[in-house]
Amino acid sequence: MNDAMVRIEDVYKRFGRNEVLRGITFDVRRGEVIVILGPSGSGKSTLLRLISHLDDIDRGRIYVDGRLVGYEERAGNLRALGDRQASLARADVGMVFQRFNLFPHLDALANVTAAPMHVKHVPKKSAVNAGTELLRQVGLADKLHAYPSQLSGGQQQRVAIARALAMNPKVMLFDEATSALDPELVGEVLEVMKLLARQGMTMIVVTHEMGFAREVADRVMLMDGGVIVESNTPAEFFDHPREERTRSFLSRIL
Amino acid sequence: MLDPTHLLLSFDAGLVREYLFKDIVVRAALRTLWISVLAQAAGIALGVLAAVSRNLRIPVASQVSSLYVWFFRGTPLLLQLLFWFAAVPLIAPDDFGWWIFQFHHDWFLFSPFEAAVIGLSINEGAYMAEIVRAGIESIERGQMDAAKALGMTNLQGMRLVILPQALRVIVPPTGNEFISMLKNSSLASVISYPELLFVVRGQYARNYKVMELISVAGIWYLFFTSIFSVLQAELEARLRPDQERQGLRAILAHAISPPGEWTGSIGGSDRR
Repeated sequence: MNDAMVRIEDVYKRFGRNEVLRGITFDVRRGEVIVILGPSGSGKSTLLRLISHLDDIDRGRIYVDGRLVGYEERAGNLRALGDRQASLARADVGMVFQRFNLFPHLDALANVTAAPMHVKHVPKKSAVNAGTELLRQVGLADKLHAYPSQLSGGQQQRVAIARALAMNPKVMLFDEATSALDPELVGEVLEVMKLLARQGMTMIVVTHEMGFAREVADRVMLMDGGVIVESNTPAEFFDHPREERTRSFLSRIL
Repeated sequence: MLDPTHLLLSFDAGLVREYLFKDIVVRAALRTLWISVLAQAAGIALGVLAAVSRNLRIPVASQVSSLYVWFFRGTPLLLQLLFWFAAVPLIAPDDFGWWIFQFHHDWFLFSPFEAAVIGLSINEGAYMAEIVRAGIESIERGQMDAAKALGMTNLQGMRLVILPQALRVIVPPTGNEFISMLKNSSLASVISYPELLFVVRGQYARNYKVMELISVAGIWYLFFTSIFSVLQAELEARLRPDQERQGLRAILAHAISPPGEWTGSIGGSDRR
């Protein structure tokens, strides 16, 4: 067993005739923060959805902490796990969505405690205590009983992060977590993400926030056309990009 | 033959008042209410089962559901009631063994009450399946994604996340369904179940006070439907807890915040 928390091996995915991922391979070490950049339609979000097993993979393997996510391997073939087992595997992977996807019929605290109580069967009292503490950590101690519609976008996204953390995930995936936010609300969400990174959370972050990539990432990757074009430390990636494709991408967004 | 003017002139309001609260009529009205409530409750349960198994594409169950909806929406309710009451005993064999159970002929002889409740429930389930399906489909896909990403199974996602939100879409048409049910239950008179219309017809067959007795039935139907309209409005209001608790300040904040910020987590229908 090596140090890889997430191991992605030659993953392919197509939707109809559209090949979205064409052979993705990389490892994410325990505690490592990966930032994935790339134009829209390059397959970044699809890759995250495969890691959390929200969609099926066509080919290849994805391991989280040494275990296949959503599948079991028998005689070299992948077999999809049943709903219940696949769900348990998914609980190890925290996912934060671009559009928050909070449950609008539940208040902030109930959003955070729902999964621990119903999936992990944590008693209500300890789920509430843990949820309250998580919401305090993301700066929402005074919003425990606010409904999503009463919160700003930045507050909603912080609730969503707390909600994912409540399941004690081994890795957190961020799918353009700040793209739907007003510019002045982006900072508060990035702060929470930086805090998580400092605490040693393994993270895969799809974003357009170059400052965050430079400051927090251990490795920055450029994805385009369903492949990883370049992967490097942030300093090398931004200051001495190797690939022409990376240079043209950076020149357009910086 | 009496001419209509005469009928109208001879309308006896006192008789209406008398029959309205006559024991036999009140009991018939309560029977109407009872089979309607039973059949609606069972219909909702069947509808949720059918819609969920179709939405989650559960093997076999989803095909059975499609067939069920197709068949029971496609044939008249009256035909179905006659089938349960009259035809089922004919097609059931006299006596046969099924594994360890012994089924006997008389098990398949439904009383008018049983046939009415079974027939109305199964018919209603087919319509409720479509209503629940529309409710489930009104919830954005991201909600199920979020539920699954948190480790919930498909069924947990349905039960804890999708269906509670879908209720807002499901309740108004279900109220209409129940009001239809109260009225459609009168079809059970054909299989001689003594509900309101059956009893009223029995009465006017005896005394020829057709207009008065039909009015009595009409008043009872209106009474029930009015009560349930009020209950429905109350239930719909309760399904908007976040709106209720939301003070003036939050509403103002909502109004001045840019729309893009809100679209993510709440479906359009939440914000009426």
